[in-house]
Amino acid sequence: MGTLAAAQPLLIALILAWSGYGKLTSPDQADRTALPRLLGESGTARPGWFGASRAVAAYRGVAVLEIVIALLLLRSWAIGAVAAVALSVGFTGFLVYSKIVVPEASCGCAGKSAKPVGNRAIGRALLLLATAGLAATASTAWWSAGVGLLVLVVEAAAFAMLSAELDRYWLLPLRRLRIRLGHPYAGTASDDTPLVATQRRVLLSPAYRAVDGLLRSDIHDYWDDEDWRYVSYAAKYDGRRATAVFAVPHQNSTPSAIRVAVVDEEGLTLYRPTVLATAG
Amino acid sequence: MTTTMDRRSLLSRAALGATGLVAATAMGSLAPEAAFAAQTPDAGQPDPNFAEGVITGRNQDLLQVQGSDGRLHRIQLTGVTSVWKLRPTTIDQARIGDGLYARGVLLPDGILAAEAIWVNIVNLTVAITAIGRNGVQFDHHGQKVVGHVQSGTTAAVYNGTPAVSDLSMLTVGRHAQVIGAWRPGTNEIDIATIYTSN
Repeated sequence: MGTLAAAQPLLIALILAWSGYGKLTSPDQADRTALPRLLGESGTARPGWFGASRAVAAYRGVAVLEIVIALLLLRSWAIGAVAAVALSVGFTGFLVYSKIVVPEASCGCAGKSAKPVGNRAIGRALLLLATAGLAATASTAWWSAGVGLLVLVVEAAAFAMLSAELDRYWLLPLRRLRIRLGHPYAGTASDDTPLVATQRRVLLSPAYRAVDGLLRSDIHDYWDDEDWRYVSYAAKYDGRRATAVFAVPHQNSTPSAIRVAVVDEEGLTLYRPTVLATAG
Repeated sequence: MTTTMDRRSLLSRAALGATGLVAATAMGSLAPEAAFAAQTPDAGQPDPNFAEGVITGRNQDLLQVQGSDGRLHRIQLTGVTSVWKLRPTTIDQARIGDGLYARGVLLPDGILAAEAIWVNIVNLTVAITAIGRNGVQFDHHGQKVVGHVQSGTTAAVYNGTPAVSDLSMLTVGRHAQVIGAWRPGTNEIDIATIYTSN
């Protein structure tokens, strides 16, 4: 237990340094967190301290504090551990506040991540708190921890798994591998033409250009009959209500093969462009 | 239903050229201004022929809609109104609690006679974060959205090629644009079309 506790400052220092570095390199992230709300800055950003908005200034301040504590942990680990406990309590409190008061706010913990604060972020802060608490009980320096340092690998892995910022390095590749072994939608291919494919062919056809100005609605009805798919739109022809109906052949994919007619309420065909082939 | 079938077969024959054409001059003026008679909105004013919002009431085919800007709209659906709700469907599918966009003609009594409505339609730019049997998980600018696949309707467009029903080329980590129908009160959508790369 003694060597285990002694090893902790090294891990905490690395995590705080990573987190502080992330905050310093993307200070704009501050506006996505609950900081503006906490500092009474919600809405438009106002110039606060040092010319930057108060949220950005506070965000930078936390980053510098993290790096100072990280350096302390590496040298004067006993003082650093107490400071890290205080910082982790602050982090946990802030994240809980964020989740309750500004649920859409991101954590801002280690730079760029738009993910809202979730249980993982709070779990990570609690783990940091536990680690810092353990470190505070250490009686020897981390560089004499010996085998205790090996446990850090496991702990670091736990931290990584709780970090949404690192998902793309291990979680997404794992899911990609899982899908390569068996895609959940492997059986979805079929010979049926999706309506959106038909719609695109209609939109690109000379027939559509011939009646475009008459159409009043989106697709009103569609149906398949033998070699054709039919798509109808509400239309207006010469001030009268009518229906424009397109016939799209399943087999022939040339745009000029698509035909159109404008039919009125009584079923009379009002308009049928005939020279579409040359218009294509 | 038989009238629908009759109308369909009539339209089919008309489109294929199996019916006679009425002489256009018998229908009266073909002046182009007739086609552009619809009123155009004044600059800076809301388009009078458009409405959006959440359906708060429905009396037969008259919808009461609360706009996101607080305005109230009354929208009349008719048999010729096109209704999109994941796919082209019928006017009875517009339910209380659904969101909609409507386009039509504003009548003098303030009712919008809808020519087309789109119910619960969403257009999202997302990253695909997981693919499972009960849906595709998306990251929409940090928010988690679950997309459900509807067999026979959901289509995919890969690299801009024509849409197919084959979803087996969806890849975790890819960016995508999703047109779908939101399930009100949830972070779930039904996917109509997903545009992505493979």
